[in-house]
Amino acid sequence: MLFVELLSNLLLLTGGFFYLAGTVGLLRFPDVYTRLHTLSKADNLGLGCLLAGLALKADSLVLALKLLAIWPLTLIASAVVGYAIAHRADRLGIPAWQREKP
Amino acid sequence: MGLFIASLLRRTVGFALIWWIAAEGSLVAWPLAVIAVAASVAVSLRLLPPGKASAISVIGLAGFLGYFIRQSMLGGFQVARLALQRRPQLHPAILAVPLTLPQGLPRMLLTGTLGLMPGTLGVRLEDEFLHMHVLDRGMPITEEVEQLAAHIARLFGVQR
Amino acid sequence: MKSLELPLALFLLINLAAALIRATRGPTAADRMLAALLFGSTGVGILVLLAFVQRSFALIDVALTLALLAAISGIAFAQRTWGLTGRSRQRRAVEREDDHAFR
Repeated sequence: MLFVELLSNLLLLTGGFFYLAGTVGLLRFPDVYTRLHTLSKADNLGLGCLLAGLALKADSLVLALKLLAIWPLTLIASAVVGYAIAHRADRLGIPAWQREKP
Repeated sequence: MGLFIASLLRRTVGFALIWWIAAEGSLVAWPLAVIAVAASVAVSLRLLPPGKASAISVIGLAGFLGYFIRQSMLGGFQVARLALQRRPQLHPAILAVPLTLPQGLPRMLLTGTLGLMPGTLGVRLEDEFLHMHVLDRGMPITEEVEQLAAHIARLFGVQR
Repeated sequence: MKSLELPLALFLLINLAAALIRATRGPTAADRMLAALLFGSTGVGILVLLAFVQRSFALIDVALTLALLAAISGIAFAQRTWGLTGRSRQRRAVEREDDHAFR
């Protein structure tokens, strides 16, 4: 029981870490494409860890399954919205950021 | 006819399972559940007739999901490392890769899942090419797309 | 270690606020659209954490519905940009109109 509790808390903290990394990336990365990368990858992994951690704390199996069912939905959402935003940015003629040559 | 009944049964079980999860196992509202499941099955049979959907292979799905979850974790790690570096080692570019998958759902799935995998993000699907934004030009992008495309081809049981 | 959920929910709220400020500042219209992604992941995360803080599991239904709506509206929103049909010339014409309205 203690082990499950520990694992659950570890997953929650890992989730928080990925959310933090996503926000830091959003603040630091140079253009809309790179920012999209952080949001669609780091934040989704953060949510996945969070849901797994909470599922371990759930009172019943069915509640745990319900928590885990949220993850694929947000994955679909960020995959399609991420593509749509990148596509639109490309259509608007926003160039990909490049490091200046020294 | 056998195909129709098999897919009717499969979908009924599937939607009943979704109801069971959404209702947290409570059977209080069972008459509503019966109506909802029946309506969902009817609509799904109408929108996606049997035969098309049965092309999805279960082994292919398991392989795809395993690969996808592993890769999306790698993608999260990579982006977290880049974000927290003192000086992010970004070498972005927009590349085009040729598509070998058939049009429709397989291509859509490829583009969507690439956005969750390490270093790649679909930007434009055009004719026979997928243009993508990559975080690091030095990464083996073409190999990654090839691997994913092979998994998707196995999932749908299509030739490439 | 009992109450990790509440501090984590507050932490996510701070993340969401910082990210929203960043997204609304632009500089391009595409940057501002990032806000749509933020509510899908961070918003849902806060909701499920609060469900456990208050032991009110109806909030999980709210989170599930939010995620479902995000997926469905995302698909609807993205549908015209997907290269699904072979009619790419017609699609490009539609997009040119969109771009005009979007600017």
